[in-house]
Amino acid sequence: MGTNVYGFPLLSLIAYLPLIGAIILLFMKKEEEKKIMQTAFAVSIVTLAVSLLLIPGFDSTTSEMQFTEQHTWIPSLGVSYAFGIDGISLLLIVMTTIISSIAIVSSYTAINMRIKEYYVSILFLETGMLGVFMSMDFFLFYIFWEVMLVPMYFMIGIWGGGRRLYSAIKFFLYTLFGSLFMLLGILAVYFLNADPQYGSGQYTFSVLELQKMNLPLHPLQFWLFLAFFLGFAIKVPMFPFHTWLPDAHTDAPTAGSVLLAGVLLKMGTYGFVRFCLPMFPEASVYFMPYMAGLSLVGIVYGALVALAQKDIKRLVAYSSVSHLGFVMLGIFALNTHGITGGILQMVNHGVSTGALFLIVGMIYERRHTRLIADFGGLSSKMPIYSAVFAVTMFSSMGLPGLNGFVGEFLILVGAFEANKIYAGIAVIGIILGAAYMLWLFQRMMFGPLDKPENQKILDMNRREIAYMAPLIVFMFWIGLFPRPFIRVMEPAVEKIVQRLKGAGAMAKQESEEKSVEVISKNDKTVIAARIDPEKGMID
Amino acid sequence: MLKALLPSNYLPILVFFFIALAFGVVTIVAGYLVRPKNTYDQKLTPYESGILPETDARQRFPLRYYLIAMLFVLFDIEMVFLYPWAVSFNQLGLFALVEMILFLTILFVGYFYAWKKGALEWD
Amino acid sequence: MTPIMPDIQLIAIFPESILAIFACALFVMDPFIARDKKEQLGYFSLAGLCVSGVSTLFLWGKSISTFSGMIALDNYALFFKTLFLMISALIILMSIRYIKIERINLGEYYGLILFATIGMMFMPSATDLLSFYLSLELMSMSLYVLAAFMRKDPKSIEGGIKYFLTGVFSSGLILYGVAFLFGATGTTNLGEIAAFLQENGVTSSLSLIMAFVLLITGFGFKISAVPFHMWAPDVYEGSPTPVTAFLSAGSKAAAFSVMLRVFINAFALSSGNWWPVLWVIAVLTMTLGNLVALVQTNMKRLLAYSSIAHAGYLMIGLITASQIGYAAILIYLVGYVFMTLGAFTLIILLCSANMKGDQISDFKGLARTNPMLGLVFIIFALSLIGIPPSAGFVGKLYLFNSAIQGGFYWLAIIGILNSVVSLYYYFRVVQVMYMDEPNAGTVLSFSPTLKVALGITAFLTLFLGLYPEPIIKAAIDSVQIFL
Repeated sequence: MGTNVYGFPLLSLIAYLPLIGAIILLFMKKEEEKKIMQTAFAVSIVTLAVSLLLIPGFDSTTSEMQFTEQHTWIPSLGVSYAFGIDGISLLLIVMTTIISSIAIVSSYTAINMRIKEYYVSILFLETGMLGVFMSMDFFLFYIFWEVMLVPMYFMIGIWGGGRRLYSAIKFFLYTLFGSLFMLLGILAVYFLNADPQYGSGQYTFSVLELQKMNLPLHPLQFWLFLAFFLGFAIKVPMFPFHTWLPDAHTDAPTAGSVLLAGVLLKMGTYGFVRFCLPMFPEASVYFMPYMAGLSLVGIVYGALVALAQKDIKRLVAYSSVSHLGFVMLGIFALNTHGITGGILQMVNHGVSTGALFLIVGMIYERRHTRLIADFGGLSSKMPIYSAVFAVTMFSSMGLPGLNGFVGEFLILVGAFEANKIYAGIAVIGIILGAAYMLWLFQRMMFGPLDKPENQKILDMNRREIAYMAPLIVFMFWIGLFPRPFIRVMEPAVEKIVQRLKGAGAMAKQESEEKSVEVISKNDKTVIAARIDPEKGMID
Repeated sequence: MLKALLPSNYLPILVFFFIALAFGVVTIVAGYLVRPKNTYDQKLTPYESGILPETDARQRFPLRYYLIAMLFVLFDIEMVFLYPWAVSFNQLGLFALVEMILFLTILFVGYFYAWKKGALEWD
Repeated sequence: MTPIMPDIQLIAIFPESILAIFACALFVMDPFIARDKKEQLGYFSLAGLCVSGVSTLFLWGKSISTFSGMIALDNYALFFKTLFLMISALIILMSIRYIKIERINLGEYYGLILFATIGMMFMPSATDLLSFYLSLELMSMSLYVLAAFMRKDPKSIEGGIKYFLTGVFSSGLILYGVAFLFGATGTTNLGEIAAFLQENGVTSSLSLIMAFVLLITGFGFKISAVPFHMWAPDVYEGSPTPVTAFLSAGSKAAAFSVMLRVFINAFALSSGNWWPVLWVIAVLTMTLGNLVALVQTNMKRLLAYSSIAHAGYLMIGLITASQIGYAAILIYLVGYVFMTLGAFTLIILLCSANMKGDQISDFKGLARTNPMLGLVFIIFALSLIGIPPSAGFVGKLYLFNSAIQGGFYWLAIIGILNSVVSLYYYFRVVQVMYMDEPNAGTVLSFSPTLKVALGITAFLTLFLGLYPEPIIKAAIDSVQIFL
């Protein structure tokens, strides 16, 4: 089922390195704070380095799973330990290792209590996130998917601010609610696959096997799509399920927000691309208008609410809702441009919004407030900071030359191809996005420096510049030369689109066939009535 | 279907029940009809030919009494098992002997335990 | 004169016999051992459990029906026997220190636990309604005494009396149901009942319905299913904590072990139309258990309601009336036993001379003063909710599996919603442990045996979540008898 060029369980190594690091940390004394931080950072950097090894070995001409590992695990359930990646996962894995390292560095001064537990949580979380993007077995996938909730719960609940306990449990409850429905969906798919009528006739949790199933749209694909939808849409979060996000983001510590926005939300969109589209192509086509509708509501609603925010972090959180609406719109344009744009925008959002949260975190660390009204005129005191802020803001807005533009452009092209109205409404979101971002920047950076507390504010230090730099590099790189990123995922996207096209064609054919059948039936009865009073003779 | 609803082997029990009922009713009615009906003071005392009770009949017994009584009932009833076994010992043979020894051993453990715990001492 | 040699194969009751010998020996030894050395009896009974356990393992794979069809020894029975022996051993490990602190270190304590275990071990073996009833009573009688063991504590007395009354009442109902079943079929042997019903084509008749109603009510009390659950919280709160753990793990598992045999064999669940009744009870049980658990402040009461909810989940397997459903019950029970016992071990750990340690607020900041305990509790909490990787997850996966396969989608969805609710109250405890300031003066009564118990339960809860293959295999082997 794929290849592994290194002939070595590289993916497992990447996934479990952070876990091993977390276990090492557990055995360190909690007073050795400096050592703990250094170890955590070292572990994350090693993980990053090892994950970069994936790139030279990756064959971007095939949609096959690569670096595969497959071992029998629980044979009586048909569960196997299966890892494997394609271009989509590759991008997200490397993004995860980069953002995790940055999150760890950014916490050096921000976190000053219960340090050991904090870094254990982050590393544990990293293993969970990486595992999700690699798993090629639903059982394994589900374990990583759920395991990751616990460290995030603790990050918000222990090191958060504001109503952290409320936000933490809200995050946990919402996500668990969705993922349990997904579990039911997984189980249903598992049984349907064992039915030779639909699948291979075997009990297996293998993602690749289950993607080959042919289910009828009504009622199976319809309900299964909805079950998976609940799991992923809450994670994304799509419009009516987004209410946990602003709370979680606002109350999480900076690194928590960065990981949440940068990686965790991507797991929802990744789920749609990896599981929903290939497994339920007909249902995806069927639900496309609804999904696009919800995405558009999310885009506009998120942007409007962001405009009204007084708290910087909440503003960024709502901007996430809007941006993920774009991602979902791209994915559910169900064509090559849209899906490519959606996936690229996943990476972009991770980079830009991650950077925005870091920027908010820096200012919060200095002033211990996040109210926009408490700032003003900072650009004179903090030139580097405001420059970095400006680039990030432009990237988030989608200014040409920066990463956000490429993603949004592709998404709009895809949406336009699917339905012109979608693209039209989405553009409103871009305009509103520019509005809230520019307004935020103006209120914070320009104007008179009239607050006495802001007089002595310090600019970014070397550590902060160091961890912002790679993000800025990525913003320009993707913005100016996105080709490598797109090329990597091309075959994988193409495979999904082919599957969808088949489905679209099939759905059409099916309805046509039906109408033909109806007509012929009518004809027959008419003929029968005309020719012979005893209808049964003709049949 | 009907067989499952009303099993016929329960009929003897029903007959038995009515006989028992009839026995009680008949004795009471017969006694009422037969006995002389002249009442006087002495006739109404609790014990017609005994001493008059002086205190309330519901007085408290020492707790130990119950313990002893319970143990007595326990061991007494267990001993009853020995009679049928002894009567048909010839037919039951070795197996039943072993069985009875086991039974008595377990009983003896209980007895030993009660004894050692002081359950048999009055004070 | 024909010598009577009944059909007896003593090997079938060998593990129980060994345990009975140990229990009797324990009562003989008890008077000779000084009050402060009673833990020797604890170790003695552990030895008995070990010997019995080893002999159980040797019997694996055998299939014997003996005592004129009263007792069967098959993989199903052995599966449960092994489980009960492990429960019992863990309970004794938990008790040794605890009963000293509570000043109830009497030798009878261990003896009663052993007798209750013997009763439990006979229950899955019982293939006759009478042998089942006898073993049920042996277990229940011992547990009545154990529940009221802290005889100077009014709550324990209250719990004991309540447990005794409801227990006796439910036993009476079960016996009444047995009588109806006997009346309908003329036999008490489960196999013969099934054969009779099949021969005569009876799937429901008045006496059969009466029997079903009475039995389900009686068993409902035993497994604390709603609406027969009201005794559970009071009894759980009042009883000595290890006994509470024993009740919630052991007696529940034992009741389920018999329920499967009785309902599947006698009532032919899969062919009869009994499931709507069970469906309603299951839904009520898990929903009420979880909702009421939300507002508890006492840890033991919280676990009582959670164990009510778990009984509801377990009934899913019974409702689906399929091989996979029965296997799911077995798998879930194994996970449930270890996670529940583990959670109770933590409560015991908090119990010291000057603190009862069963309030949720007593857990304040425990994970900060003792990170290992925090970690262990998270494992149990995740498992109780059903989040991977934990034994509870595998069990729930199997239960939902059976529900989906049987087409009981609503049951699965209700089960899921309940799991989400349960997250809230389990993580309230986690929150108290991790995010509140530690209580001053919390003394943890660590003892080597308690550590062993905690280690075993935590390890198994995690391990069976990561590698459940052996348990799944054993469970599937065991339910072959219901084919």
